[in-house]
Amino acid sequence: MVDFLSQYSIQRWLEMCPQGYLDGTVYGHDPGETEAPEILEVDSLREASIAVTVQLIAGERCALAASSGLINCAPDDASKTFLATQTLDEARHVEIFTQRLMDLGVKKENVNSTVADLANPHLVKFAETLLEKVSDGDFVAGVVGQNIILEGMAFSVFELLQASAAGNPKFAKTLAGTIADERRHVGFGENRIGSLIREHPEKKAEVQAMQAEMSYHMLATFTDMFSDAGQRMEEAKQLVADKEDNPLEGVTWHGADLMSATPDVMEAVLADTVLNEFRTRLDRIGIEYQSPKVPARA
Amino acid sequence: MTNVDDSWEPHLLDEDEFIREVQSFTFWFEAVEGYLGDRPYGHDPDLPEAALGEIERDQLVTILCNYCVGETAALEASSGLVRLAATNPSQIFMATQVADEARHVEVFRRRLEDLGVADVDGEIARRANPELSEFRRQLLEFVDAGQWELAVFAQNVLLETMEDTVFRYHATVADPVTAQVLDGVIADERRHLGFGENDLGRRLARYPMRRAELAEVRARLDPLILASFEATYRDLGLSRAEAPELGRSYLEAVERLGLAG
Repeated sequence: MVDFLSQYSIQRWLEMCPQGYLDGTVYGHDPGETEAPEILEVDSLREASIAVTVQLIAGERCALAASSGLINCAPDDASKTFLATQTLDEARHVEIFTQRLMDLGVKKENVNSTVADLANPHLVKFAETLLEKVSDGDFVAGVVGQNIILEGMAFSVFELLQASAAGNPKFAKTLAGTIADERRHVGFGENRIGSLIREHPEKKAEVQAMQAEMSYHMLATFTDMFSDAGQRMEEAKQLVADKEDNPLEGVTWHGADLMSATPDVMEAVLADTVLNEFRTRLDRIGIEYQSPKVPARA
Repeated sequence: MTNVDDSWEPHLLDEDEFIREVQSFTFWFEAVEGYLGDRPYGHDPDLPEAALGEIERDQLVTILCNYCVGETAALEASSGLVRLAATNPSQIFMATQVADEARHVEVFRRRLEDLGVADVDGEIARRANPELSEFRRQLLEFVDAGQWELAVFAQNVLLETMEDTVFRYHATVADPVTAQVLDGVIADERRHLGFGENDLGRRLARYPMRRAELAEVRARLDPLILASFEATYRDLGLSRAEAPELGRSYLEAVERLGLAG
């Protein structure tokens, strides 16, 4: 365990992250980059981008509260150190997605009300389920909830958004940095929690119940987000198709062709991808994956 | 972006500029990159170790163990303060402070290992001075009770001023490697102190009656801090006649801020 945790030191983090893949970036992207013109010019696309960005901010705020809250109940100094780096990573994510919201035209004084108005209620429930474990000082459940469930979801969502942002280099670059961060976070969760679960097998049932509940709220969030996306997705596809060099031509994500897939197909692919990731990662730490309830469609 | 040089005083910025500059990841990174870029674990890896006598080494180990106690207290308190922050920029600043404090713990622990300490946790537990441990307990009580102003005052004003005073003095008499590690830590503490003064200053302007509460906290915590200074003199092997007046420097520094009383 000691050797694995030495890879999560502040020094290593400084070399990898701010001195590595973030070097030279401004709010996570290259200096001078702006959002794709069609997003800023077409109201429905701009509103859709705002709605998506709000969910990212809500998720990252939850991760910031969870990672900082877990430091005091971490059982060893090296885990505290890792969680300190994660706290700053999550704060950076909150900052860059908040900046994106403002780049999309939301005034600074309206950021919080926009997030409150547009954050999906199921995503809020998802966050509350996790933060309840953190408030109780439950390190094992908190790290599984955060570093495997929340980060696992974020990882796949960011990858999908990055693939979809092929025509928007600013957002794609912003996401690339967050994906690199999430990869470290997920790795810590798997490595550290496996040994703790073996030491505390009595925690399994509680952690499994939390996983099922968080997974349900995640799926319900996906359902809500994709349910009215059809028209906007078609509009966005048409706009990129009209470009001389269509950046989405031939781009696939987990087998789905981003130019031809319907919202229903994309929702199913995303849900399957994330749940399969959960299953694999939970299995590695000795937790039995629980199939969540299927959310009703509106 | 303001250059972070030795004369830069973040607490002198006006509110808007302060929030824009200090409370962001970008500011934090530009600040630390300036003095940590070529100093892994806080010092130039080519800097030669000074030959320390056994007594001198033992005194340094005790001091570093107590630095770890103070920095761990700050790590635990600042991480708890993230969720109490009233605004997103304050939350982001606190997150940068969490990383700073974790780095301080890491560089001091690493220094202990460099000095041949095999069981760092055990050594810290054996050598921690009781007043500092009591300070940590009281600080975390404020955090657990959700008392933002009292916790920020205890941490970002009192604890940071104490550390600033001790680290500055120690850097003048320490071996070159320890002195360089301390230089980087001092630069961080200035940012933290600047945040505490700026944040509390604005709050007290709105709620002046809260000064009395801060004065009460100060009356409880100052004796612990002054006793910690005495322990530092002892750890440095200084007689009373040789000891610098760190206690007075600390009291004057807190007084100058004018936040309590």
